[in-house]
Amino acid sequence: MGSTPTQYDTLQRQVSNLNPVDRLLLDSPYTISNELYSVLRHVLHDVGGQPDTPVPFTEKGEEPWEMNTYVTCECLGWRGVWNSEERRRRENDLGMTQYFGLPYYARWITVATKSLIDQGLITTDELGKKIDEVRDRLTKRKK
Amino acid sequence: MSTTHGHAPIQESGQLSEFEVLELAVRELAIEKGLFSAEDHRRFSEWAESRGPHGGSKLVAKAWVDPAFKERLLTNGTEACKEVGLNWLEPTGQGTPSDYTFFYVLENTPKLHNVIVCTLCSCYPRPVLGMSPDWYRTPNYRRRMVRWPREVLAEFGLHLSPDVEVRVHDSNQKSRFMVMPMRPEGTEGWSEEQLAAIVTRDCMIGVALPRPDWTAQQVPSQATPSQAKGKGGRK
Repeated sequence: MGSTPTQYDTLQRQVSNLNPVDRLLLDSPYTISNELYSVLRHVLHDVGGQPDTPVPFTEKGEEPWEMNTYVTCECLGWRGVWNSEERRRRENDLGMTQYFGLPYYARWITVATKSLIDQGLITTDELGKKIDEVRDRLTKRKK
Repeated sequence: MSTTHGHAPIQESGQLSEFEVLELAVRELAIEKGLFSAEDHRRFSEWAESRGPHGGSKLVAKAWVDPAFKERLLTNGTEACKEVGLNWLEPTGQGTPSDYTFFYVLENTPKLHNVIVCTLCSCYPRPVLGMSPDWYRTPNYRRRMVRWPREVLAEFGLHLSPDVEVRVHDSNQKSRFMVMPMRPEGTEGWSEEQLAAIVTRDCMIGVALPRPDWTAQQVPSQATPSQAKGKGGRK
């Protein structure tokens, strides 16, 4: 996604279209009931028993970046940078839109990145520079 | 799962995935900073790629022909795994960061059928079954299996008689489960290898039953994109 004003407008339209699972209109109300307060405190990953309609249970198979994400996250655990509990907790704390919006392993790599930044092990500047470098390299390879 | 809206897929085919870029960037930075080594990543990948349902199949086949082993397997799953060459301490010496847990094997009987799920995330016995199928990780499976197991199993093609109790086991950070199905009729005199071949991944998750004429075995990471649901239970 680029950064021209037109691209920004397009992105904002899509962001406002994201459909929350909870379809109550929630836009920072002045006040809420105690009941809604307890509803809002429900942790989003605790989905067991929620009603849903049948869907086809299909298999996609692991893509290379997905397998690499799994292994990168496990290597970070192996060498003591984090543990699987931190990974799960960070995924659960992503918020409803990202938790249910991101593909499974996109959640993993997103929270691994955030953990490294939060721990001060990498900086956002380093990350941005590295992402540009990697994108250029992969783009050239694909051409 | 949002299936009611006609949005275009987020990742267009042929487009460079930002996730692929991010993973490689994070991995390279981690290696440059010495958080782990390229060798660590290579070794862990090699181990992960070598895991698959064949590990669990061996456990079940051996239990079917060796009652003493079956007893040991049901008593202490982690220890019994070592007898077929599966060590939960691999590949780091301390297990994998996500899977070093208690391991329980659940025995099906004529009156009891077991099935596994992880409602809170996607816990799965990777060391013995490999990577979980994509559908196992979906919120839909996680939502419904604990409450409507017969309906969900029927969607996989597994229709259980009402007098069979269905027990759903919710996996978690400390406990992983695997189903030991009943040995089907028509397999009398079979070798352990022949038996292992019919114990498919889906049978050990509990969404299918083994059949003498069905030997599908595939590591999920090598699955083809268009694989349909419920392959283990289809007539």
